[in-house]
Amino acid sequence: MRLSSLLTSTARWGRAGFALGALALLAGCDYNFWRMDGHQSTITVAGPVARSQLEVFYVTCWVTLVIFILVGGVLAYATLKFRAKTEAEEKAIPPEQGHGNPLIELGLIGASVLALVIIAIPTLKGIWYTYDVPEDRKADTYEITATGYQWWFKFEYPSEQIAGSGALTTGNELVIPAGRPVRVNVRAIDVIHSFWVPKLAGKVDMIPNRGNFLWLQADEPGYFWGQCAEYCGDSHAVMRFRVIALSPKDFADWVAQQTSPARNVTPKPGETAKAQFASLRTFKQNESGITDKYDVAPLEAWKAKQFPEKGENAALIAQGKALFVSKTCASCHEVRGHGAAGISGPNLTHIGARSMLAAGLIENNAEQLQRWIHDPGAVKPGNKMAKGYLDNNIKLTPENEVALVAYLQSLK
Amino acid sequence: MSSHAGTIDHHHDPSTSTGIPNKKLLMWTFLASDCMFFGALISTHLIYRLHPMPDAPSPKNIFSIELTSFSTFILLMSSLMMALAVTAIQKGNLKSMRWSILTTIFFGSIFLGCQVYEFQEFVEIKKMTITNSMLGTTFFTLTGTHGTHVAIGVLWLILMYVRSFQPPEAGRNAAWFIRHAVHIAVIIGAILLAIFATLALVHTLHTGGSISAYFGGHFAMLAGLLACIAAGIFLARPNGPVNFGEANAIDVESMGLYWHFVDIVWIVIFTAVYLLEYL
Amino acid sequence: MEAILKSDLHAKDAHAPAKSTLFWRPTAQTGLISWLTTVDHKKIGFLYGVFALFFFLVGGFEALLIRLQLMYPNGTVLTAQQYNTMFTMHGTTMIFLAVMPLSAAFFNFIMPLQIGARDVAFPRLNAFSLWTFVAGAIIINLGWFMHDGAPDGGWVGYAPLTSKTFAADHSIDMWVMGLQLLGVASIAASLNFIVTIINLRAPGMTMMRLPVFTWMTLITAFLIVLSFPFITIALVELMMDRLFGTNFFEVSNGGMPILWQHLFWVFGHPEVYILILPAMGIVSEILPTFSRKPLFGYPIVVFSGASIGFLGFSVWSHHMFTTGMGTMATAAFSLATMAIAVPTGVKIFNWIGTLWNGHISMRTPMMFALGFVWMFMIGGFSGVMHSAAPADAQQQDSYFVIAHFHYVLIGGSLFALLAGIHYWFPLMFGRKVSEFWGKLSFWVIFAGFNITFFPMHFLGLNGMPRRTFTYDANLGWNAANFIATIGALILGVGIFIYFAVMVYTFLKGEKVAKDVWDARTLEWSLPNPPPEYNYRVIPTVHARDAYWYNKQHKEEIAREEAEKAKAEAAHGGIHMPHQSIYPFVASLGLLIAAVGIAVIDHDPSPGFWGKKIGVSMIGGVVMLAGIYFWALEGNEGYHLHLDDEGHAPADKNAAKH
Repeated sequence: MRLSSLLTSTARWGRAGFALGALALLAGCDYNFWRMDGHQSTITVAGPVARSQLEVFYVTCWVTLVIFILVGGVLAYATLKFRAKTEAEEKAIPPEQGHGNPLIELGLIGASVLALVIIAIPTLKGIWYTYDVPEDRKADTYEITATGYQWWFKFEYPSEQIAGSGALTTGNELVIPAGRPVRVNVRAIDVIHSFWVPKLAGKVDMIPNRGNFLWLQADEPGYFWGQCAEYCGDSHAVMRFRVIALSPKDFADWVAQQTSPARNVTPKPGETAKAQFASLRTFKQNESGITDKYDVAPLEAWKAKQFPEKGENAALIAQGKALFVSKTCASCHEVRGHGAAGISGPNLTHIGARSMLAAGLIENNAEQLQRWIHDPGAVKPGNKMAKGYLDNNIKLTPENEVALVAYLQSLK
Repeated sequence: MSSHAGTIDHHHDPSTSTGIPNKKLLMWTFLASDCMFFGALISTHLIYRLHPMPDAPSPKNIFSIELTSFSTFILLMSSLMMALAVTAIQKGNLKSMRWSILTTIFFGSIFLGCQVYEFQEFVEIKKMTITNSMLGTTFFTLTGTHGTHVAIGVLWLILMYVRSFQPPEAGRNAAWFIRHAVHIAVIIGAILLAIFATLALVHTLHTGGSISAYFGGHFAMLAGLLACIAAGIFLARPNGPVNFGEANAIDVESMGLYWHFVDIVWIVIFTAVYLLEYL
Repeated sequence: MEAILKSDLHAKDAHAPAKSTLFWRPTAQTGLISWLTTVDHKKIGFLYGVFALFFFLVGGFEALLIRLQLMYPNGTVLTAQQYNTMFTMHGTTMIFLAVMPLSAAFFNFIMPLQIGARDVAFPRLNAFSLWTFVAGAIIINLGWFMHDGAPDGGWVGYAPLTSKTFAADHSIDMWVMGLQLLGVASIAASLNFIVTIINLRAPGMTMMRLPVFTWMTLITAFLIVLSFPFITIALVELMMDRLFGTNFFEVSNGGMPILWQHLFWVFGHPEVYILILPAMGIVSEILPTFSRKPLFGYPIVVFSGASIGFLGFSVWSHHMFTTGMGTMATAAFSLATMAIAVPTGVKIFNWIGTLWNGHISMRTPMMFALGFVWMFMIGGFSGVMHSAAPADAQQQDSYFVIAHFHYVLIGGSLFALLAGIHYWFPLMFGRKVSEFWGKLSFWVIFAGFNITFFPMHFLGLNGMPRRTFTYDANLGWNAANFIATIGALILGVGIFIYFAVMVYTFLKGEKVAKDVWDARTLEWSLPNPPPEYNYRVIPTVHARDAYWYNKQHKEEIAREEAEKAKAEAAHGGIHMPHQSIYPFVASLGLLIAAVGIAVIDHDPSPGFWGKKIGVSMIGGVVMLAGIYFWALEGNEGYHLHLDDEGHAPADKNAAKH
């Protein structure tokens, strides 16, 4: 008994000490967990929709915090004040009291209702504001159709029609004009996915047989992280995407580049194919495929990807181009202008200009691309590309892989 | 424990806090739960009815409202007979209760027979299966679930009917036990054979076959049916005192609650699935 | 004829089991048979508790694996598929196989004692509920031992991810069948509790004198009875899709996956209250006992419990704010969700009111109960944040939600259940957990829990989605994930201490006399452990805190009891139900049928036995046989005649405890 009373009396101090210890531990970390300024932060927002949602959150946060302090304060006071200090006091029966007080109860109920009204008003405003583009901005709205697949995103631009090929289509990187409202019609073909770019807007689910939409707007040009937010099978965790917001002029340039057919690189006479890098190293399970390039200056890094790389080997690229068809890549992927017109995988017409591969998972560079082609299932468990050619006994030699990588990297 | 000497008050059980017999309360609560089951299934049907596929079959071309109206009427009549059975046993009139229960079983079996016929026609002639359209999926699942409820009800009625022949001290009477099982088997046999024989007859008439060919082709089935009926009559003959009477009214009443509920649900289904299409 | 008529409603006399009958009348009081055939609500409650705690440890182990995988970015403890299986099974196990049955353990053990009853209304149905629950638990967990693996569709099993197209193997079939069996078990048990509470109350125990725990049992039972049909129908539709190729969720034939979500959450939200209301009931028992005051505002606490249950059916779509319901529906569900905060808040006010001016003795159950109030407040407040639909659009399916519902389910439900174990342990087993070890386990659990889940609020606001097996190091989630994993390990240690102490106490703990806490409700008037027949004399209730009143009016009560004892002896003693094996047989049949449907491949080759249809039919026949014999053996029982000291005579037919 003595030990136990010692324990209870020190418990409060223990708790405080523990909190201090935890703080000290955190101080040593690179990212303090209360600094919610990550790439997918819902706190450091970059557009009006996410900002409106954040404001509602802050209202709920403050109201509940005030109530918590009040109620918690009374609870703590009651616990400490009315605690039996001696065993005799424990045994004693407190004086007869009322079993309730209707006035107090009604008053507290009234106060709770009032607190909820404070939350309800901005909530209702927010529901209507975040639902669709405001009337006065409708004329300026840019429309996109986003479709979720296991486990990647297809983005279509209905207003950018390409003769003989329909709307401009990209995969996993959504480029939008900054400063304009963008209405994203979200669709799904297989299972339910969810479209979420935390810094721009809350999520809306992509549900088969259901025409959902959301709107968002990036205030400034920028590079934003997105993520599927509804569990959709094996690789749900790595079903990511990026949103790139560009100034009106940059956006127009980008559209012009994207609507043109795939880039051709013609070998000079006598040029021979030659591998440009060392053979593929082994990767660990779930090994990170990113560098800090896109953490430091993401938009600049992305823009740099739009231009052909130096030292391209045209002969190797030509080999890759032939392999793309002969190794059946073309049956799932489209490379407009190069005779590849598959539709079940992402459109690769300008794959070389994207910053990420495998749905925002790994960086788009030669090494990671080869890692991906070499064994897609190891990078992204359960995906169709692994099933598509590895299970069908289509073999790629290291030379094949290098040629395909060179070809795909050239598709700017 | 209070004494039950004298007459039994069927609306008050002094051994419970509320006076409602436990079995009755259990049944009411269960039916509340069952309401939710059917509510979910009927909602599913109605939701998909509002969102048909472009090539969806038209229910009007599939349903035969005359047959279903008939079977609905029969099911309603069975509820009447069920109510009579409860009243009879509450008055201690065992014979009247048995006749009412047998009629309820008969009507319930007609309903089930109509449903078997309907399902068969939809699948084989109207070409609507449980897989080839959303209407088929929701229709067969919903009416099939209801049909299962009716079938369970019929089985329960049969068991109750046979139970009413149980002699005193049955727990130590192996001969009775076997007789009991045989009794149940012949009634189920009679119902199944009657349904199939009738369906075969309807089929013969539809396809223009001759009655004599029908009798020739289904001789064994009809003989079996007659044998079952005869055995049923034989087993139902008076045979000494029985351990079943007014005190069992609560069992019959709980069963009656179930049966009425299944009927009421059918009225809702009949309205939501069939009549709605003819508005 | 007359005599026969009467004898049927009455119990058969005490000599019945001595004669040979067609039906097996097991009389074993110890050993396996006694457990398989028991109809004693206390033994059934104990079994529920044992199974629930076992699955609680299994679910906890799964949780630790999840946390270890996420300890560092790009973790490699589990593969993607293993991780998905873990979180699916963790959720399913904790909700259906741990917290619900643990609540059911208390419903079974405590509720009949609180209302002064000798058993539940339908003792054999109660045994059937228990064994069907066990059958469901086995089916759900069968995948661990099979090639197909355990289910990995998430505990919400959203179609069409769970359809045959996207989950071809049997793991989802097992999940579907297992949950259906659990539904049968829960509904059957709840029907029984409802009838028991409404009909088997002792004289004078009016509805407004019921202990709050019993009230919450009643409301929970109604919630189960009215909400489980929806998930059962959803599961039936999914099962039809998977087995027979129907189109309920088949997108290409017009199926709408959103329907699954509606059916699931019409069940799923009341389910949240099914998990928390029993906990609130337990806390409403513990706080008055250790404040030595009656519960403040009893009618309002009861009424707010009922309104929570009622409103619980009108807020399900707040789980679906991101499914594009349109502005009106979103606004309506948003406001309804906020409204539910009012009765919840009322409960907290009244708990504080109960402490006020009391003499609070800070024993282990009280610590857990106060921990519950604090943690539940935090979980409740983050719940209010979710009710604001625009804010929820960012929080839904993020770690903020994980933090929220773990505060409600661990800090809430589990803390109260752990409090309940400590509180009623002396009554159940006659032994008491040492205060030191009890409090130590509380503080370790409390610290571990908060270190695990508090950082998750920040993770969610920082954009970490739930159900993700890996994350990259550049998203600012590393520190919080690391701390959460450390917290989970501390929590694991706390739970280990708790259970180690529990087992030690069960075997060797300090023996205590009856009514160790000087408590207020009727169950404490019994010797510990309570005899098989519970009450030698059915008590008469004079006041709300019935036993407290009795303790203040000892002489009056003693007189009353003596009179009633005489009257009851004249009526033939204490009526006890016979043990029965048939509920177990019926559940066994269900288990076999479910294995047939869920596990065995459809094999078109000729032959019947050993095939899907054959095994299912065998199960069906076993189940029908069980129910048939159950009906035939009848609900007769035997009578106990106790001497003045309350001992049964040394008659081998009469039960001795």
